[in-house]
Amino acid sequence: MNNRTWMSRGLAGTAVMMLGLTLAGCGGGGGDASSRPENELHVAVYGDASNKVEEAMVAKFNETSDVKVVLDTIPGADYQTKLQTIIDTDSAPDVFFNWGGGSIANFVKADLLLPLDDFIEEDPKLKDAFLPSVFETAEIDGKSYGVPMRGTQPVMLFSNSEVLKQAGIDAPPATWDELLEDVERLKAAGVTPIALGGADQWPTQMWFQYVFDRVAGEGLFQAALDGDTEVWDSEESREALGKLRELIDAGAFGTNFDSVKFTDGGSPTLLSSGRAGFELMGSWAYATHLDADPEFAENVLSYSEFPEIEGGKGDPHNLAGNTNNFYSVHKDTRYPEEAAEFLKLMYSDEFVQEQIAIGNLPTTTNTEEFLDEASNPEYAKYQFDLVKDAPNFQLSWDQAYPPEATVTIHTAVSQFFSGQIDEDGFIKAMQGL
Amino acid sequence: MTTLATRRQAGPGGSTESRPARSGASSVGRPGFAWALPATIFFALFALVPLAAVAVLSFTSWSGLGDPEFVGFENWETLVADPVMLKSLWLSLLFIVLGVVTQTPLSILLGVWAAGHQRNRAVLSAIYFIPLLLSSAAISVLWRALLDPNFGLPGQLPWLFGDGNLLGTQAGAIGVLIFVGMWQFTPFHTLIYQGAAKGIPTVLYQAASIDGAGTVRQFFSITLPQLRNTAITSIILMVVGGLTTFETVLILTNGGPGTDTTITAFYMYQEAFQSFDFGVGSAIALVLVVVATLISLVVVKVSGYDKMNSSLEGL
Repeated sequence: MNNRTWMSRGLAGTAVMMLGLTLAGCGGGGGDASSRPENELHVAVYGDASNKVEEAMVAKFNETSDVKVVLDTIPGADYQTKLQTIIDTDSAPDVFFNWGGGSIANFVKADLLLPLDDFIEEDPKLKDAFLPSVFETAEIDGKSYGVPMRGTQPVMLFSNSEVLKQAGIDAPPATWDELLEDVERLKAAGVTPIALGGADQWPTQMWFQYVFDRVAGEGLFQAALDGDTEVWDSEESREALGKLRELIDAGAFGTNFDSVKFTDGGSPTLLSSGRAGFELMGSWAYATHLDADPEFAENVLSYSEFPEIEGGKGDPHNLAGNTNNFYSVHKDTRYPEEAAEFLKLMYSDEFVQEQIAIGNLPTTTNTEEFLDEASNPEYAKYQFDLVKDAPNFQLSWDQAYPPEATVTIHTAVSQFFSGQIDEDGFIKAMQGL
Repeated sequence: MTTLATRRQAGPGGSTESRPARSGASSVGRPGFAWALPATIFFALFALVPLAAVAVLSFTSWSGLGDPEFVGFENWETLVADPVMLKSLWLSLLFIVLGVVTQTPLSILLGVWAAGHQRNRAVLSAIYFIPLLLSSAAISVLWRALLDPNFGLPGQLPWLFGDGNLLGTQAGAIGVLIFVGMWQFTPFHTLIYQGAAKGIPTVLYQAASIDGAGTVRQFFSITLPQLRNTAITSIILMVVGGLTTFETVLILTNGGPGTDTTITAFYMYQEAFQSFDFGVGSAIALVLVVVATLISLVVVKVSGYDKMNSSLEGL
C-alpha cells in the first residue's frame, strides 16, 4: 500500500510539473524578432496550382537579396487551421496569404500584424497600383494590413448554352422572374435547372450573398457585420429569404443537392454533361471546367451576372465572392524592409503576366494591358470589367466574419435550403453570431 | 485480485503455505516499480499530461492567439445548454449501438468460417482483409465517389436509391456512415475472431460429434461460448472506435445534413479547429473521456471480464 501511495504522489507531482512546463510553453506566444531565423523571411501560402508563380517570384527575389525568402506552402484545406495555430508562436510566418476581412480581423485584434501604412508612405504604389474596391478589403480600422496577391474571384452565374438552347432559352436570365421562368423550362426539358454542390455548404451560401445584396443592397450585411443583428429580422431580410424559398420550392436545385459536392467534381460535371442548366460559382469554375473538359469550357460554357431582382435596393452590378487574396506581414518579423521589398513584386508587370498566364486575374491597375495574354482573353476581360465597374464587391460571408462564425453560417444556409429550418430559424441562427 | 491469486497459488494445501511461496517469488526478482517506469513515463507524458492540460483549457477561453483566459464554468454552462452537444451524444450512442449490432454477428460468422483449414478460405480471407490496409480517409473518399447521386451507384440503380439523396437525409447519412464503418472494421474484428476460433480445442468438437451435435448446434454450444472473452474485447474496441469515429464523418458528411451526423468527436473538432474555440473543444473532449471511461467500466462489469475467468478451465 505504501508503495502505491508513493507512486500516485510521484505521478501527480510529475503531471503537475509537466503541465506547468506545457502551459509556460504555450502561454509564452510570439516573442521578439531575435528568436526568429536569421537571414530568412518565411512566406506562408495556400498550397495549390498557383504556387508555381509564387515560387518564381521567390526565386527572383532571392537572386538579389541577402535575406532569403523561404516559401512554406500549406495544403489548402488545412490552411486557416494551421495558420491560426502557429501565428502566435515563434514559428509564425513573416508574410502570409489570407483573404482580408474577417480572416485577419482576429490577428489585428491580437496585435499580431504590422500596419503597412509606413511601407505605403515610402512607396505609394503598394496601394495605388491596385483597384481601390479590392484594396479596401484588407483595411481594418482605417489601417492597411494587406497587399493584394493572386487574383480576384467574383461569383458568376455559369450556364451550359446548349442545354439552355434545347430548353428554348436564348440568353441567361437578366431578372429574377426570368430565372424562375427558365427554371420551369429546364424542368420541362428534363434536366436539373441549377446544379448546386450543397454538401460543400459554401456554394449554397453564394445564393444568399447575391439575393440579400440584390433585395436589400450591401448595407444590410455590412450592418449585421458591424454588430446590428436586428437587420436579420428586417422586412428586407425576410423578403430575400422568401425569394430563396420560392426558388427552392420551384425545384430549381432538384432534390439531391445535399449529396453533391463542387470540390469532388460532382456539380461541375452536372453542368458540363448537360444534366443541369446553370451553376452559381466563383470565377475559378472556368479553370475547373478547362481542366476537366477543355472542349466544353471553350465552346459551350457561358457566364453572366447574377440577375436583377425587381424592386430590390441593390445595384444589379454589385458583385459577391472572394475579392482577392492578400499578403499580410507579421509584427514580429525580423526583416520588415525585405518584406516591403518582396511585397513590391506584387504589382510588377512580370507578376501580373505570370498570374494571367495560369488563369488568375490580378487586380492591379495595369492588369488590363496584359489581358490579351490570358488563356481566354474574352473571359478575362469580362471578369475584369465586372470587378472594375462593380459599385460594391461583397466579400464572401464566411470570409467577412471571423473564422469562428463559419460553422454557424454554413449550417444555417444548408439547413434553410434542405428545409430543416424556416425563415425564423435562419434569422435566429444569424442573430446568434 | 491479490487475494484471488493467493488462493489459487495456495491450492489445496491451505493458506499457511501460500505466504512463504509469495515471498520466495519476490526474492527471485519479482518486477518492482522500476520495471513499470518507462511505460509510466510515456503514459504520463502522452496521456495524463495532455489530459490535465485539456482539463485546464476547458475552463479558459482561447482561440490559439495570445494567452488562455480563465472564464470559470462558462464553457461548461454553454455546453449544458447547447442542443447540438446533447444531440451529438445521442448520435454517438446510436453510432456505437448500430456499429456493434451490425459488425459483431458478421465478424463472428466470417471469423469462424475463416478459421477453417481449407485452402480457398485463406485466399478469400486475404481478400476480405484488404479494407484493413486502407486509411480511413481513402475509404471515405472512395465511398463518397461511389455514392455520388448522379455519377455513382445511386445514379445507376434508381429503383434502389430513389433520387440518390443518401447524404442529404439523416437516415441516409447515418446509414451510409454505419455501412462504411462496417466495411472498414469488420475485417479487423474478423481477424480477432478467426484467431480465437482457431484456438478452440478440437477435442470439444470431437466430443460434441460423438454426442450427435450437428454443425449448427456445435456453433451455438461450443464456438459462441468459447468466443465470449474475445467478443468482449472486440466490443470494447468497437465502442471506443465508435466514440472516436472522425475521418469518415468529416469526409463523407461533414456532420451534415445540418447537424444530423455531428457526433461528439466531430463536434469537438469543429469547435476547436474550425471555430477556434479551444475552451469549448476541450470541454467536449473531457466529456468524451468521461463517457468512454463509463462505457468501458459498464461493459467490463456487466460482462464479468474483470474476473478474468479462463474459458478453457478444466481442459
